[in-house]
Amino acid sequence: MSVLDILINYHMAFLSGLKVTLELCLVIWSCGIIFGVTLGCVGANYPHSWGRFTRAMSFGFSAIPTLVILFWLHYPAQAVFNVVIDPFYTASLTLSLVNIFGVGELVRQAVVDFPAQYIVAGRVCGLGTRDIVTKIQLPILFRQLLPGLLVLQVGMLHATLFASLISVEEIFRVSQRINSTIYRPVEIYTALAMFFLAVCLPINLLAAYLKKRYTRDLSER
Amino acid sequence: MLEARNLTFSYSGKPVFHNINISVKPGGITVLIGPSGTGKTTLLRCLALLEQPQGGEIAVDDQVFGYPWPAGKAFNPPWPRLTAVFQSLFLWPHLTLRENILMPVRRYKKDNVMDGEVEALIEAFDMGEYIDNFPNEASLGQRQRVALARALMLGPHYLLLDEITSALDVEQIAKILSYLKGLRGKNIGIFIITHLLGFARHAADQVVFMANGEIAEQGGPDILRNPQTERLGQFLSVIAAAS
Repeated sequence: MSVLDILINYHMAFLSGLKVTLELCLVIWSCGIIFGVTLGCVGANYPHSWGRFTRAMSFGFSAIPTLVILFWLHYPAQAVFNVVIDPFYTASLTLSLVNIFGVGELVRQAVVDFPAQYIVAGRVCGLGTRDIVTKIQLPILFRQLLPGLLVLQVGMLHATLFASLISVEEIFRVSQRINSTIYRPVEIYTALAMFFLAVCLPINLLAAYLKKRYTRDLSER
Repeated sequence: MLEARNLTFSYSGKPVFHNINISVKPGGITVLIGPSGTGKTTLLRCLALLEQPQGGEIAVDDQVFGYPWPAGKAFNPPWPRLTAVFQSLFLWPHLTLRENILMPVRRYKKDNVMDGEVEALIEAFDMGEYIDNFPNEASLGQRQRVALARALMLGPHYLLLDEITSALDVEQIAKILSYLKGLRGKNIGIFIITHLLGFARHAADQVVFMANGEIAEQGGPDILRNPQTERLGQFLSVIAAAS
């Protein structure tokens, strides 16, 4: 049985797994970008309260392996609180938190390190706060943050594989299930790799387009 | 008139300058000279209302800023009526040089007026060849001209300049300084930190010599020919020997 045969025979299972993976990604990416950017900006403006909180949480989430947090929230936490939560929601929550604090720290750091002289130049040119933010800070920050943010989001896509270990029916778990039936690991995991390539290709193309369009080497001669 | 009265500034408890009195008249050129590290740039930043001195006051026409500035009191500096060009220039790296000049002025001027003025400045400062490049694609001398053009486009009443000709060749310096002299006719008051004593001799209405955090001597450009203090005499002889 070739890779193509497997894709043809099990395309419905693969597609349902891919759908779950993409749904997970949608939740994780949306939460990460919306709440992470907000948290980063708030953290930069309130360095002693929100800033420290963002740094501490980001350190915690990067130091503790995602899988440990996922297992902790899925097994002991639910036993302690005597609740049963759909693994999809547990995985969404865990990976979203990881992404939120990852993005938050990235944004906080960039805002804090933003060269003050560009703001000073805006002020003496008579620009108001709104113009300084929209015409100077945001465009420069966007260009600075773009590569790091895209790498982090691709990393989060890969982290969705962990959700299979708490029985979320995402594409990796589907592949494992098919493999346990027909035992064709090389072909099945090649097919899986092709799915990931197909998902990552548009992201990489978008990253390349945005990089070409917006980021340049800003260092001066 | 732009005026500093009894201005005192210290940084982390260390005094930078003390009881400085200085004035820039509309249509006049005040040149500040002095050795490095004597607080010239800090004084310019104070005059630009970017730093908060510990004492004294700064008057920009009828608007007076008294220090120490009361906590919680609204601070509304008259930018860009009062504007500055710094030694480090601070051009925005994501905009072309042309956009650097046009972006801040868009809210004040109509496109057709703006375009005419920009083209005149491009010609006056020989910026045609590189005006559509980004700042990192231009040399320091080219960026200096753009930073000055950006400030001039804002139609300031007072223009504060910190060593803005340091990377220009002799020909360009002559062009820019002659342009600055021409601004007198437009009633723009200019405060300039420079090491170009020739410019101070020929164009300045007032020359201020700053040393060790205080004004050691000030007066007309003739103080550069006949210094009244030993300190200025020493400084001038060092400059003469170096050049």
